[in-house]
Amino acid sequence: MRKYSYFPGCSMESTAKPYRLATEYVMGKLGIGLVEIEDWNCCGATSGHTLSEALGLALPARSLALAEKRNPELDILTGCASCYARLRLAMYKARTDERAKYIIEKTIDMPYAAAREVYNFLDVFSLPDVREGIAERVVRKLTGLKAACYYGCLNVRPAEVTGAPDRENPTSMDEIVALTGAEPVDWAFKAECCGAAHQNDAASASRALPHRILRDAQSNGAEAIVTACPMCNLNLEMRQDGYVNRTGMDRIPVFSLSELLAVAMGASAKRIALEAHYVPSAAVLARALRRKDA
Amino acid sequence: MENERLNQLMERAGVRQYDCYQCGKCSGGCPMAHVMDLKPRGVMRCAQIGSLRRILESNTIWLCTGCHTCAERCPHDVDIPAVIEEMRYEAAAEGLTRRDSKVLNEVFLANIRMFGKNHEMLLAGLYNMLTLKPLQDMASLPHMYKNKLLKLLPKEPKNLTEIEALVKRAEKWRGLK
Ligand code: SF4
Ligand code: SF4
Repeated sequence: MRKYSYFPGCSMESTAKPYRLATEYVMGKLGIGLVEIEDWNCCGATSGHTLSEALGLALPARSLALAEKRNPELDILTGCASCYARLRLAMYKARTDERAKYIIEKTIDMPYAAAREVYNFLDVFSLPDVREGIAERVVRKLTGLKAACYYGCLNVRPAEVTGAPDRENPTSMDEIVALTGAEPVDWAFKAECCGAAHQNDAASASRALPHRILRDAQSNGAEAIVTACPMCNLNLEMRQDGYVNRTGMDRIPVFSLSELLAVAMGASAKRIALEAHYVPSAAVLARALRRKDA
Repeated sequence: MENERLNQLMERAGVRQYDCYQCGKCSGGCPMAHVMDLKPRGVMRCAQIGSLRRILESNTIWLCTGCHTCAERCPHDVDIPAVIEEMRYEAAAEGLTRRDSKVLNEVFLANIRMFGKNHEMLLAGLYNMLTLKPLQDMASLPHMYKNKLLKLLPKEPKNLTEIEALVKRAEKWRGLK
Protein backbone atom coordinates (compact mmCIF):
# COMPACT_ATOMS: atom_id res chain seq x y z
CA MET A 1 0.00 0.00 0.00
CA ARG A 2 1.19 3.50 -0.82
CA LYS A 3 1.52 5.83 2.11
CA TYR A 4 2.50 9.47 2.45
CA SER A 5 3.15 12.05 5.14
CA TYR A 6 0.24 14.37 4.48
CA PHE A 7 0.26 18.17 4.62
CA PRO A 8 -3.39 19.29 4.35
CA GLY A 9 -2.77 23.06 4.32
CA CYS A 10 -4.92 25.75 5.89
CA SER A 11 -7.67 25.88 3.23
CA MET A 12 -8.48 22.20 3.66
CA GLU A 13 -9.50 22.91 7.23
CA SER A 14 -12.06 25.55 6.31
CA THR A 15 -13.31 26.75 2.93
CA ALA A 16 -12.26 23.70 0.90
CA LYS A 17 -14.67 21.30 2.58
CA PRO A 18 -15.82 19.40 -0.54
CA TYR A 19 -12.19 19.05 -1.63
CA ARG A 20 -11.23 17.58 1.73
CA LEU A 21 -14.13 15.12 1.87
CA ALA A 22 -13.61 14.03 -1.73
CA THR A 23 -9.87 13.57 -1.21
CA GLU A 24 -10.48 11.36 1.81
CA TYR A 25 -13.02 9.34 -0.20
CA VAL A 26 -10.77 8.87 -3.23
CA MET A 27 -7.62 8.06 -1.27
CA GLY A 28 -9.65 5.53 0.74
CA LYS A 29 -10.90 3.85 -2.45
CA LEU A 30 -7.39 3.75 -3.90
CA GLY A 31 -5.87 2.41 -0.70
CA ILE A 32 -3.47 5.35 -0.40
CA GLY A 33 -2.62 6.06 3.22
CA LEU A 34 -2.35 9.67 4.37
CA VAL A 35 -0.53 10.21 7.65
CA GLU A 36 -1.20 13.81 8.66
CA ILE A 37 2.02 15.52 9.74
CA GLU A 38 1.72 15.98 13.45
CA ASP A 39 1.67 19.62 14.53
CA TRP A 40 2.17 21.00 11.01
CA ASN A 41 2.03 24.77 10.57
CA CYS A 42 1.10 27.19 7.79
CA CYS A 43 3.47 26.98 4.80
CA GLY A 44 3.67 30.77 4.73
CA ALA A 45 2.09 31.35 1.33
CA THR A 46 2.15 34.01 0.28
CA SER A 47 3.19 36.57 2.86
CA GLY A 48 5.99 34.51 4.41
CA HIS A 49 8.43 34.98 1.56
CA THR A 50 7.22 38.51 0.91
CA LEU A 51 8.39 39.36 4.41
CA SER A 52 11.73 37.60 4.30
CA GLU A 53 13.69 34.83 2.70
CA ALA A 54 14.29 33.13 6.04
CA LEU A 55 10.63 33.10 7.02
CA GLY A 56 9.60 31.98 3.54
CA LEU A 57 11.88 28.94 3.78
CA ALA A 58 11.60 28.13 7.47
CA LEU A 59 7.80 27.98 7.75
CA PRO A 60 7.43 25.13 5.24
CA ALA A 61 10.71 23.49 6.30
CA ARG A 62 9.50 23.08 9.89
CA SER A 63 6.63 20.84 8.78
CA LEU A 64 8.91 18.91 6.42
CA ALA A 65 11.50 18.34 9.13
CA LEU A 66 8.78 17.12 11.52
CA ALA A 67 7.50 14.73 8.85
CA GLU A 68 10.96 13.30 8.14
CA LYS A 69 11.65 12.88 11.83
CA ARG A 70 8.42 11.04 12.56
CA ASN A 71 8.19 8.98 9.35
CA PRO A 72 11.61 8.94 7.70
CA GLU A 73 10.45 6.41 5.09
CA LEU A 74 7.54 8.48 3.76
CA ASP A 75 7.46 11.09 1.00
CA ILE A 76 5.33 14.17 1.58
CA LEU A 77 2.04 14.86 -0.19
CA THR A 78 -0.11 17.97 -0.39
CA GLY A 79 -3.23 18.93 -2.37
CA CYS A 80 -2.67 22.70 -2.49
CA ALA A 81 -0.58 24.31 -5.21
CA SER A 82 0.62 27.13 -2.95
CA CYS A 83 1.66 24.74 -0.19
CA TYR A 84 3.28 22.50 -2.80
CA ALA A 85 5.32 25.40 -4.16
CA ARG A 86 6.52 26.54 -0.73
CA LEU A 87 7.25 23.02 0.56
CA ARG A 88 8.94 21.95 -2.63
CA LEU A 89 11.05 25.11 -2.78
CA ALA A 90 12.24 24.54 0.81
CA MET A 91 13.17 20.96 -0.12
CA TYR A 92 14.92 22.08 -3.30
CA LYS A 93 16.85 24.88 -1.59
CA ALA A 94 17.93 22.64 1.27
CA ARG A 95 19.34 20.24 -1.31
CA THR A 96 21.01 22.66 -3.67
CA ASP A 97 22.01 25.75 -1.70
CA GLU A 98 24.22 25.39 1.37
CA ARG A 99 23.56 28.90 2.55
CA ALA A 100 19.80 28.34 2.40
CA LYS A 101 20.12 25.03 4.23
CA TYR A 102 22.09 26.74 6.97
CA ILE A 103 19.48 29.47 7.34
CA ILE A 104 16.67 26.90 7.38
CA GLU A 105 18.21 24.69 10.06
CA LYS A 106 19.18 27.63 12.24
CA THR A 107 15.73 29.13 11.96
CA ILE A 108 13.70 25.97 12.60
CA ASP A 109 16.24 24.84 15.20
CA MET A 110 16.09 21.27 13.88
CA PRO A 111 18.05 19.26 11.36
CA TYR A 112 16.38 19.02 7.95
CA ALA A 113 17.99 16.57 5.53
CA ALA A 114 15.48 17.02 2.67
CA ALA A 115 15.80 13.30 2.10
CA ARG A 116 12.17 12.79 1.05
CA GLU A 117 10.31 14.15 -1.96
CA VAL A 118 7.37 16.55 -1.93
CA TYR A 119 4.54 15.61 -4.29
CA ASN A 120 1.18 17.03 -5.32
CA PHE A 121 -1.95 15.02 -6.16
CA LEU A 122 -1.27 15.21 -9.90
CA ASP A 123 2.09 13.47 -9.38
CA VAL A 124 0.50 10.65 -7.41
CA PHE A 125 -2.60 10.16 -9.58
CA SER A 126 -0.30 9.93 -12.60
CA LEU A 127 1.73 7.00 -11.26
CA PRO A 128 1.03 4.00 -13.54
CA ASP A 129 -0.35 1.73 -10.81
CA VAL A 130 -2.47 4.49 -9.26
CA ARG A 131 -3.84 5.41 -12.66
CA GLU A 132 -4.79 1.79 -13.21
CA GLY A 133 -6.46 1.79 -9.81
CA ILE A 134 -8.49 4.86 -10.77
CA ALA A 135 -9.64 3.27 -14.02
CA GLU A 136 -10.73 0.14 -12.13
CA ARG A 137 -12.69 2.07 -9.52
CA VAL A 138 -14.65 4.30 -11.86
CA VAL A 139 -18.11 2.77 -11.41
CA ARG A 140 -20.08 5.41 -13.31
CA LYS A 141 -19.00 7.52 -16.23
CA LEU A 142 -19.21 11.27 -16.49
CA THR A 143 -19.97 10.85 -20.15
CA GLY A 144 -19.05 13.75 -22.35
CA LEU A 145 -18.57 16.25 -19.54
CA LYS A 146 -16.59 19.05 -21.21
CA ALA A 147 -13.96 19.88 -18.63
CA ALA A 148 -11.25 22.53 -18.71
CA CYS A 149 -8.35 21.17 -16.66
CA TYR A 150 -6.78 24.07 -14.79
CA TYR A 151 -3.29 23.45 -13.36
CA GLY A 152 -2.48 26.99 -12.24
CA CYS A 153 1.03 28.34 -12.01
CA LEU A 154 2.53 26.75 -8.94
CA ASN A 155 1.82 23.12 -9.73
CA VAL A 156 4.05 23.48 -12.80
CA ARG A 157 6.47 26.40 -12.32
CA PRO A 158 9.30 27.09 -11.77
CA ALA A 159 10.55 24.16 -13.81
CA GLU A 160 13.75 23.55 -11.87
CA VAL A 161 11.76 23.21 -8.65
CA THR A 162 8.71 21.24 -9.82
CA GLY A 163 10.39 19.14 -12.49
CA ALA A 164 7.16 19.36 -14.54
CA PRO A 165 7.91 18.13 -18.06
CA ASP A 166 5.73 20.65 -19.92
CA ARG A 167 4.97 24.04 -18.38
CA GLU A 168 3.06 25.55 -21.29
CA ASN A 169 0.73 22.67 -22.03
CA PRO A 170 0.72 20.24 -19.11
CA THR A 171 -1.39 17.13 -19.73
CA SER A 172 -1.28 14.96 -16.60
CA MET A 173 -4.65 16.14 -15.29
CA ASP A 174 -6.30 15.84 -18.71
CA GLU A 175 -5.23 12.20 -18.84
CA ILE A 176 -6.67 11.46 -15.39
CA VAL A 177 -9.93 13.29 -16.14
CA ALA A 178 -10.34 11.27 -19.36
CA LEU A 179 -10.42 8.06 -17.27
CA THR A 180 -13.85 9.12 -15.96
CA GLY A 181 -15.44 9.46 -19.39
CA ALA A 182 -15.25 13.26 -19.24
CA GLU A 183 -13.80 15.11 -22.23
CA PRO A 184 -10.95 17.51 -21.46
CA VAL A 185 -11.19 20.56 -23.72
CA ASP A 186 -8.23 22.14 -25.45
CA TRP A 187 -7.72 25.65 -24.07
CA ALA A 188 -5.03 28.26 -23.60
CA PHE A 189 -5.17 29.19 -19.91
CA LYS A 190 -4.32 25.86 -18.28
CA ALA A 191 -1.25 27.16 -16.50
CA GLU A 192 -1.96 30.90 -16.35
CA CYS A 193 -1.85 32.53 -12.93
CA CYS A 194 -5.26 33.12 -11.27
CA GLY A 195 -3.83 35.87 -9.06
CA ALA A 196 -5.18 34.39 -5.83
CA ALA A 197 -2.18 35.85 -3.98
CA HIS A 198 -3.30 39.44 -4.51
CA GLN A 199 -7.07 39.21 -4.22
CA ASN A 200 -6.88 40.91 -0.82
CA ASP A 201 -4.13 43.49 -1.17
CA ALA A 202 -4.60 44.48 -4.82
CA ALA A 203 -8.17 43.42 -5.41
CA SER A 204 -9.18 45.56 -8.36
CA ALA A 205 -5.82 45.16 -10.10
CA SER A 206 -5.94 41.38 -9.95
CA ARG A 207 -9.61 40.69 -10.78
CA ALA A 208 -8.80 40.44 -14.48
CA LEU A 209 -6.77 37.27 -13.89
CA PRO A 210 -9.57 34.90 -12.84
CA HIS A 211 -11.92 36.57 -15.33
CA ARG A 212 -9.60 35.81 -18.27
CA ILE A 213 -9.32 32.18 -17.21
CA LEU A 214 -13.10 31.77 -16.89
CA ARG A 215 -13.67 33.38 -20.27
CA ASP A 216 -11.10 31.25 -22.08
CA ALA A 217 -12.53 28.05 -20.57
CA GLN A 218 -16.04 28.97 -21.65
CA SER A 219 -15.02 30.16 -25.11
CA ASN A 220 -13.51 26.76 -25.67
CA GLY A 221 -16.71 24.97 -24.82
CA ALA A 222 -16.05 23.93 -21.22
CA GLU A 223 -19.04 23.17 -18.98
CA ALA A 224 -16.87 23.05 -15.88
CA ILE A 225 -13.36 23.84 -14.68
CA VAL A 226 -11.39 21.20 -12.80
CA THR A 227 -8.70 22.38 -10.37
CA ALA A 228 -5.81 20.95 -8.39
CA CYS A 229 -5.66 23.62 -5.68
CA PRO A 230 -8.16 24.90 -3.09
CA MET A 231 -6.94 28.50 -3.46
CA CYS A 232 -7.39 28.52 -7.24
CA ASN A 233 -10.76 26.85 -6.79
CA LEU A 234 -12.01 29.41 -4.29
CA ASN A 235 -10.69 32.31 -6.35
CA LEU A 236 -12.25 31.10 -9.59
CA GLU A 237 -15.62 30.65 -7.86
CA MET A 238 -15.73 33.80 -5.77
CA ARG A 239 -14.93 36.14 -8.67
CA GLN A 240 -17.83 34.96 -10.80
CA ASP A 241 -20.38 37.55 -9.68
CA GLY A 242 -18.10 40.28 -11.03
CA TYR A 243 -17.33 38.19 -14.10
CA VAL A 244 -20.99 37.72 -14.96
CA ASN A 245 -21.67 41.43 -14.51
CA ARG A 246 -18.72 42.42 -16.60
CA THR A 247 -19.00 40.00 -19.50
CA GLY A 248 -22.63 38.89 -19.55
CA MET A 249 -21.43 35.26 -19.63
CA ASP A 250 -23.04 32.55 -17.48
CA ARG A 251 -21.49 31.17 -14.36
CA ILE A 252 -19.38 28.02 -14.70
CA PRO A 253 -18.95 25.35 -12.01
CA VAL A 254 -15.44 24.90 -10.63
CA PHE A 255 -14.48 21.83 -8.61
CA SER A 256 -11.39 19.85 -7.76
CA LEU A 257 -10.02 16.77 -9.48
CA SER A 258 -10.66 14.86 -6.24
CA GLU A 259 -14.37 15.72 -6.43
CA LEU A 260 -14.62 14.63 -10.05
CA LEU A 261 -12.96 11.31 -9.22
CA ALA A 262 -15.06 10.79 -6.09
CA VAL A 263 -18.30 11.22 -8.07
CA ALA A 264 -17.10 8.80 -10.74
CA MET A 265 -16.15 6.34 -8.01
CA GLY A 266 -19.69 6.45 -6.66
CA ALA A 267 -19.73 9.18 -4.00
CA SER A 268 -23.06 10.94 -3.60
CA ALA A 269 -23.22 14.74 -3.79
CA LYS A 270 -24.09 14.76 -0.12
CA ARG A 271 -21.18 12.57 0.91
CA ILE A 272 -18.67 15.11 -0.40
CA ALA A 273 -20.73 18.21 0.46
CA LEU A 274 -21.02 19.42 -3.13
CA GLU A 275 -23.67 21.91 -1.97
CA ALA A 276 -20.92 23.88 -0.23
CA HIS A 277 -19.68 25.28 -3.54
CA TYR A 278 -20.29 28.96 -4.10
CA VAL A 279 -21.16 28.26 -7.73
CA PRO A 280 -23.53 25.25 -7.84
CA SER A 281 -21.78 22.21 -9.28
CA ALA A 282 -24.04 19.21 -8.58
CA ALA A 283 -26.27 19.74 -11.63
CA VAL A 284 -23.54 19.60 -14.28
CA LEU A 285 -22.17 16.39 -12.77
CA ALA A 286 -25.62 14.80 -12.53
CA ARG A 287 -26.26 15.70 -16.16
CA ALA A 288 -23.06 13.95 -17.24
CA LEU A 289 -23.95 10.86 -15.21
CA ARG A 290 -27.31 10.60 -16.99
CA ARG A 291 -25.82 11.08 -20.43
CA LYS A 292 -25.36 7.88 -22.44
CA ASP A 293 -22.40 7.26 -24.70
CA ALA A 294 -23.12 8.69 -28.10
CA MET B 1 27.20 53.88 -4.13
CA GLU B 2 23.85 53.27 -5.75
CA ASN B 3 25.49 51.21 -8.50
CA GLU B 4 27.39 49.13 -6.04
CA ARG B 5 24.22 48.43 -4.13
CA LEU B 6 22.43 47.46 -7.34
CA ASN B 7 25.18 45.05 -8.26
CA GLN B 8 25.08 43.46 -4.81
CA LEU B 9 21.36 42.92 -5.08
CA MET B 10 21.67 41.41 -8.55
CA GLU B 11 24.36 39.10 -7.27
CA ARG B 12 22.15 37.95 -4.43
CA ALA B 13 19.41 37.29 -6.95
CA GLY B 14 21.88 35.29 -9.02
CA VAL B 15 21.07 37.28 -12.16
CA ARG B 16 23.43 39.12 -14.54
CA GLN B 17 21.53 42.08 -15.89
CA TYR B 18 23.32 42.03 -19.27
CA ASP B 19 21.98 38.54 -19.97
CA CYS B 20 18.74 40.32 -20.84
CA TYR B 21 18.57 41.47 -24.46
CA GLN B 22 15.27 43.32 -24.05
CA CYS B 23 13.11 41.10 -26.23
CA GLY B 24 10.04 41.76 -24.08
CA LYS B 25 8.76 38.20 -23.92
CA CYS B 26 8.58 38.48 -20.14
CA SER B 27 6.27 41.50 -20.24
CA GLY B 28 4.17 39.90 -22.96
CA GLY B 29 3.27 36.93 -20.77
CA CYS B 30 3.09 38.66 -17.40
CA PRO B 31 -0.47 38.45 -16.03
CA MET B 32 -0.05 41.63 -13.96
CA ALA B 33 1.67 43.77 -16.60
CA HIS B 34 -1.56 45.74 -17.20
CA VAL B 35 -1.27 47.36 -13.77
CA MET B 36 2.50 47.56 -13.33
CA ASP B 37 4.12 50.99 -13.64
CA LEU B 38 7.37 49.27 -14.65
CA LYS B 39 6.94 46.10 -16.71
CA PRO B 40 9.22 43.10 -16.17
CA ARG B 41 11.39 44.05 -19.15
CA GLY B 42 11.61 47.56 -17.70
CA VAL B 43 12.90 46.11 -14.43
CA MET B 44 15.76 44.53 -16.36
CA ARG B 45 16.39 47.71 -18.35
CA CYS B 46 16.62 49.75 -15.16
CA ALA B 47 19.05 47.21 -13.74
CA GLN B 48 21.20 47.65 -16.86
CA ILE B 49 21.31 51.43 -16.77
CA GLY B 50 21.73 51.67 -13.01
CA SER B 51 18.27 52.98 -12.11
CA LEU B 52 17.92 51.20 -8.79
CA ARG B 53 15.58 53.92 -7.46
CA ARG B 54 13.10 53.41 -10.24
CA ILE B 55 12.82 49.70 -9.42
CA LEU B 56 12.55 50.21 -5.67
CA GLU B 57 9.80 52.80 -6.09
CA SER B 58 7.82 50.82 -8.64
CA ASN B 59 4.55 49.07 -7.80
CA THR B 60 5.86 46.09 -9.77
CA ILE B 61 7.74 44.54 -6.87
CA TRP B 62 4.48 44.47 -4.85
CA LEU B 63 2.12 43.40 -7.63
CA CYS B 64 4.16 40.52 -9.07
CA THR B 65 2.32 37.30 -8.19
CA GLY B 66 5.46 35.16 -8.39
CA CYS B 67 3.88 33.01 -11.12
CA HIS B 68 7.24 32.51 -12.90
CA THR B 69 5.76 32.83 -16.39
CA CYS B 70 8.43 35.38 -17.30
CA ALA B 71 11.33 33.20 -16.17
CA GLU B 72 9.83 30.15 -17.86
CA ARG B 73 9.65 31.92 -21.21
CA CYS B 74 12.80 34.02 -21.17
CA PRO B 75 15.08 32.92 -24.03
CA HIS B 76 18.10 33.87 -21.92
CA ASP B 77 17.04 32.25 -18.66
CA VAL B 78 16.78 35.51 -16.75
CA ASP B 79 15.18 34.83 -13.36
CA ILE B 80 13.12 38.00 -13.00
CA PRO B 81 11.13 36.78 -9.97
CA ALA B 82 14.43 36.38 -8.11
CA VAL B 83 15.34 39.99 -8.95
CA ILE B 84 11.91 41.21 -7.88
CA GLU B 85 12.17 39.33 -4.58
CA GLU B 86 15.53 40.89 -3.73
CA MET B 87 14.25 44.33 -4.68
CA ARG B 88 11.21 43.85 -2.47
CA TYR B 89 13.38 43.03 0.55
CA GLU B 90 15.53 46.05 -0.19
CA ALA B 91 12.54 48.37 -0.62
CA ALA B 92 11.05 47.06 2.62
CA ALA B 93 14.33 47.72 4.43
CA GLU B 94 14.14 51.32 3.19
CA GLY B 95 10.56 51.66 4.43
CA LEU B 96 9.11 51.75 0.92
CA THR B 97 6.62 48.91 1.41
CA ARG B 98 3.37 49.52 -0.44
CA ARG B 99 0.73 50.25 2.18
CA ASP B 100 -1.82 47.55 1.37
CA SER B 101 0.88 44.88 1.09
CA LYS B 102 2.23 45.93 4.45
CA VAL B 103 -1.15 45.62 6.15
CA LEU B 104 -1.74 42.20 4.64
CA ASN B 105 1.69 40.93 5.66
CA GLU B 106 1.27 42.21 9.19
CA VAL B 107 -2.14 40.64 9.58
CA PHE B 108 -0.74 37.40 8.18
CA LEU B 109 2.15 37.39 10.62
CA ALA B 110 -0.20 38.05 13.54
CA ASN B 111 -2.33 35.13 12.36
CA ILE B 112 0.64 32.78 12.24
CA ARG B 113 1.79 33.85 15.67
CA MET B 114 -1.68 33.29 17.15
CA PHE B 115 -2.58 30.02 15.49
CA GLY B 116 0.45 28.65 13.63
CA LYS B 117 -2.00 28.47 10.75
CA ASN B 118 -3.58 30.94 8.46
CA HIS B 119 -7.22 31.65 9.17
CA GLU B 120 -8.40 32.79 5.71
CA MET B 121 -11.52 34.72 6.59
CA LEU B 122 -10.01 36.22 9.72
CA LEU B 123 -7.14 37.38 7.53
CA ALA B 124 -9.53 38.93 5.00
CA GLY B 125 -11.71 40.45 7.72
CA LEU B 126 -8.85 42.06 9.64
CA TYR B 127 -7.30 43.25 6.42
CA ASN B 128 -10.57 44.89 5.39
CA MET B 129 -10.94 46.61 8.74
CA LEU B 130 -7.44 48.01 8.66
CA THR B 131 -7.70 49.23 5.09
CA LEU B 132 -11.26 50.56 5.48
CA LYS B 133 -12.74 48.25 2.87
CA PRO B 134 -15.33 46.54 5.05
CA LEU B 135 -17.28 44.93 2.22
CA GLN B 136 -14.52 43.47 0.06
CA ASP B 137 -15.33 39.78 -0.53
CA MET B 138 -17.83 39.73 2.31
CA ALA B 139 -20.82 38.99 0.05
CA SER B 140 -19.91 35.32 0.36
CA LEU B 141 -20.05 35.27 4.16
CA PRO B 142 -23.68 34.05 4.52
CA HIS B 143 -22.91 31.22 2.11
CA MET B 144 -19.83 30.26 4.08
CA TYR B 145 -21.68 30.28 7.38
CA LYS B 146 -24.56 28.25 6.03
CA ASN B 147 -22.23 25.56 4.72
CA LYS B 148 -20.03 25.57 7.80
CA LEU B 149 -16.96 26.54 5.81
CA LEU B 150 -15.63 28.72 8.57
CA LYS B 151 -14.18 27.28 11.65
CA LEU B 152 -14.16 29.92 14.31
CA LEU B 153 -10.67 29.02 15.28
CA PRO B 154 -8.28 26.77 13.41
CA LYS B 155 -6.80 23.75 15.13
CA GLU B 156 -3.81 25.06 17.00
CA PRO B 157 -0.40 23.57 16.59
CA LYS B 158 0.57 22.16 19.93
CA ASN B 159 3.70 24.12 19.97
CA LEU B 160 2.89 27.74 19.38
CA THR B 161 5.92 28.82 21.36
CA GLU B 162 8.01 27.00 18.78
CA ILE B 163 6.41 29.01 15.97
CA GLU B 164 6.91 32.22 17.90
CA ALA B 165 10.59 31.37 18.36
CA LEU B 166 10.89 30.50 14.67
CA VAL B 167 9.46 33.88 13.65
CA LYS B 168 11.85 35.62 16.07
CA ARG B 169 14.85 33.74 14.72
CA ALA B 170 13.79 34.48 11.14
CA GLU B 171 13.83 38.18 12.01
CA LYS B 172 17.54 38.01 12.68
CA TRP B 173 18.35 37.30 9.05
CA ARG B 174 18.49 40.11 6.60
CA GLY B 175 15.31 41.26 5.00
CA LEU B 176 12.48 41.05 7.49
CA LYS B 177 10.31 44.19 7.44
S1 SF4 C 1 12.31 37.71 -21.73
FE1 SF4 C 1 14.39 37.67 -20.84
S2 SF4 C 1 15.73 38.54 -22.42
FE2 SF4 C 1 13.62 39.06 -22.99
S3 SF4 C 1 13.30 41.10 -22.09
FE3 SF4 C 1 12.58 39.63 -20.59
S4 SF4 C 1 14.33 39.22 -19.26
FE4 SF4 C 1 15.11 40.22 -21.09
S1 SF4 D 1 6.59 36.23 -11.87
FE1 SF4 D 1 5.89 38.35 -11.57
S2 SF4 D 1 6.89 39.52 -13.20
FE2 SF4 D 1 7.05 37.35 -13.76
S3 SF4 D 1 5.26 36.96 -15.09
FE3 SF4 D 1 4.63 36.43 -12.99
S4 SF4 D 1 3.71 38.31 -12.17
FE4 SF4 D 1 4.89 38.89 -13.99
